[in-house]
Amino acid sequence: MEQEDESEGAAAEQQADEAEEQLADDLLLHFERVLHSDPLIDEVGFLHPTQFGSLGCGQDGDSASQAPEFQHRYFWCRDHKLAICSEILPKLYRAARDAYYNTRNAPSQAVHLMSLTKVLLILCPDMLTAWNSRKMVLSEKYDFTKLKDELQLCALILSYSPKNESTWSHRRWVLKQVAEQHQDMAQLVEKESVLVKEIAERSKMNYRAWRHRCWLIPYMTRKQVLDELKKSTRWSELHVADNCCFHYRRSLLLALLDSCLGNGEDSVSWESETCMLWKDELRWNEMLIRRYQGRESLWNHRRFLSQWWIQQLFSVEETCPSTTSQVDLFITQEIGLLSECLNDPADEFGESCVQAELSALYILWISKQVPAVKGKLEERLHSVSIVGLKDVLVRACRPEKRWLWMNVLGLPDRSQ
Amino acid sequence: MAGKAELAADQHVRYIVTVEKKKDSFESLVMEHIRLNGAYWGLTTLDLLHKLHAVDAAEVVDWIMSCYHPESGGFGGNVGHDPHVLYTLSAVQVLCLFDRLDVLDVDKVADYVAGLQNEDGSFSGDIWGEVDTRFSYIALCTLSLLHRLHKIDVQKAVDFVVSCKNLDGGFGAMPGGESHAGQIFCCVGALAITGSLHHIDRDLLGWWLCERQCKDGGLNGRPEKLADVCYSWWVLSSLIMIDRVHWIDKEKLTKFILNCQDKENGGISDRPDNAVDIYHTYFGVAGLSLMEYPGVKPMDPAYALPLDVVNRIFLRK
Repeated sequence: MEQEDESEGAAAEQQADEAEEQLADDLLLHFERVLHSDPLIDEVGFLHPTQFGSLGCGQDGDSASQAPEFQHRYFWCRDHKLAICSEILPKLYRAARDAYYNTRNAPSQAVHLMSLTKVLLILCPDMLTAWNSRKMVLSEKYDFTKLKDELQLCALILSYSPKNESTWSHRRWVLKQVAEQHQDMAQLVEKESVLVKEIAERSKMNYRAWRHRCWLIPYMTRKQVLDELKKSTRWSELHVADNCCFHYRRSLLLALLDSCLGNGEDSVSWESETCMLWKDELRWNEMLIRRYQGRESLWNHRRFLSQWWIQQLFSVEETCPSTTSQVDLFITQEIGLLSECLNDPADEFGESCVQAELSALYILWISKQVPAVKGKLEERLHSVSIVGLKDVLVRACRPEKRWLWMNVLGLPDRSQ
Repeated sequence: MAGKAELAADQHVRYIVTVEKKKDSFESLVMEHIRLNGAYWGLTTLDLLHKLHAVDAAEVVDWIMSCYHPESGGFGGNVGHDPHVLYTLSAVQVLCLFDRLDVLDVDKVADYVAGLQNEDGSFSGDIWGEVDTRFSYIALCTLSLLHRLHKIDVQKAVDFVVSCKNLDGGFGAMPGGESHAGQIFCCVGALAITGSLHHIDRDLLGWWLCERQCKDGGLNGRPEKLADVCYSWWVLSSLIMIDRVHWIDKEKLTKFILNCQDKENGGISDRPDNAVDIYHTYFGVAGLSLMEYPGVKPMDPAYALPLDVVNRIFLRK
């Protein structure tokens, strides 16, 4: 009797398993159809069943209204927006994964493989092997339209998974395929740059997104580099804590310097143009430093700008000496900025303390990176009644910074 | 002073051993493809806590070898996944932990990695060509552990890494890439392994790295970011390699890491009160190891393996 019960139980269990498997396969098939019927989907949301109910599923406009009732509970697609019910994700993923494994090594299955990997990657963008299968299919024959579709799939995934390394990497692979076919990159580069800007808007300090933008620079013309610099000004002003954007500007400036080399007649005018830009950048950065107190990225940017600028001024002085030293003027101005920051009245958020520390470390940085100005710096400090750099640092820095500046100044620390 | 925080070693061991068994959630499913990295994080942590014997070595080694691709010589992140240097290094490191490099066709694996070196000295991660300084480190570390550095152009590999140095003293993922503590670890590690640390301005890089310490004592990976336990490893190991670790406050950092523990159920999170995971558990314990926390094995900062494991590999020859 007991045995009979057991075997009956086992049969019921098997039946349930089969039904479950069938459901998963149906869901997969349906999802593939949804993706196929709207290739322009630009947003995906994974919704909890309770949220899903509020979408008004199964009503007009649903992309596959002829589908069986239960599927309306799990998918919703309208105006190129797709929602998937989170409840079915494990089932759907397993079904897609198993179908993918059965298909991946069959060469005649290219279309099916592209469809399955699309499903898989929307659910799990990190699955390198699935991206590779797509690369394999795409590299069989160069097809610009298909590569553009691929960029769209990447953009879709990045819209909800903006830091996904594999997706960014795949995107670069696609762009390299296009570049290798000598397609005009100018327009494409511009679109890429806009995409990064939009993603960076929603995902702050996104290293991978900005890395992508820096990666584009060698594909840019000098004019595009100049435009990028101009266009990112406003963005930086609104995101002063985002070091990535300032790094991007540094990369653009360095690219401009590189482009000055070996360009015949243009070299001289390009160089003076770049110097003007550098000067503007310094002025703009100072304005931001005064407006937004205690921002590390702004001071880091200044370190970079000043280091190159002082060296540039030195080399100009060497070739055409004048009565007033431009380096001296610059140092005077920087010490002026320091003394202002040191004397800022305290505020309730402690920002003025951070500002004082950053300004002191900035001067220390200059003295280390451009040793030729060390003497001038000390001299100027005296003239604003500061005894020396060490005193500035004692006054402005938190105690834990002591190790750093004592070592950089080469002072023996007795407390060690 | 807050109550004395201590490392909940037993709980962490239990967490790592049981994490494998919760495979059905969607979160675990979408991690399947990097299981080999997970194995490295979990098993290295166990070894640091003197508990590697809590797992069945033969079973692990068998599974590792089931991720091997004999045609290419590389390892995939799990059974049936494409090979990539990311997983090849993890496989080699785990085999080092168990002292089982003997199961490898060492030349075949080394040829796979060496074959990914490009004309400019950089390394691709796999046949599809993405370049990253992470892959330079991985290639150099793998080949060095296998005693096969001679299979590549080491000078060119070093030159490429040096070309990724920024004016702030740090390193990025590619030439001109923003400095990032994780990428810095890779570049400093690559230079340490090849005996090329003289390319680094130690004071300048040390400065950038020690500026990563936030007010809460934890370390961040880039300017203006929040502290995260994983940078305890990336930043500290780099500081040790360039001999500037005394520039940060180790006591505050230790406290920060200990505050990120789930003391009841084990595991360490990125920052206090967040959900734990195996990745941060490894980096937390590894960070404590670098600060000579009692009861934790010392770690080699360049090879990212316990020191006794590294010694066994290089002193035996």
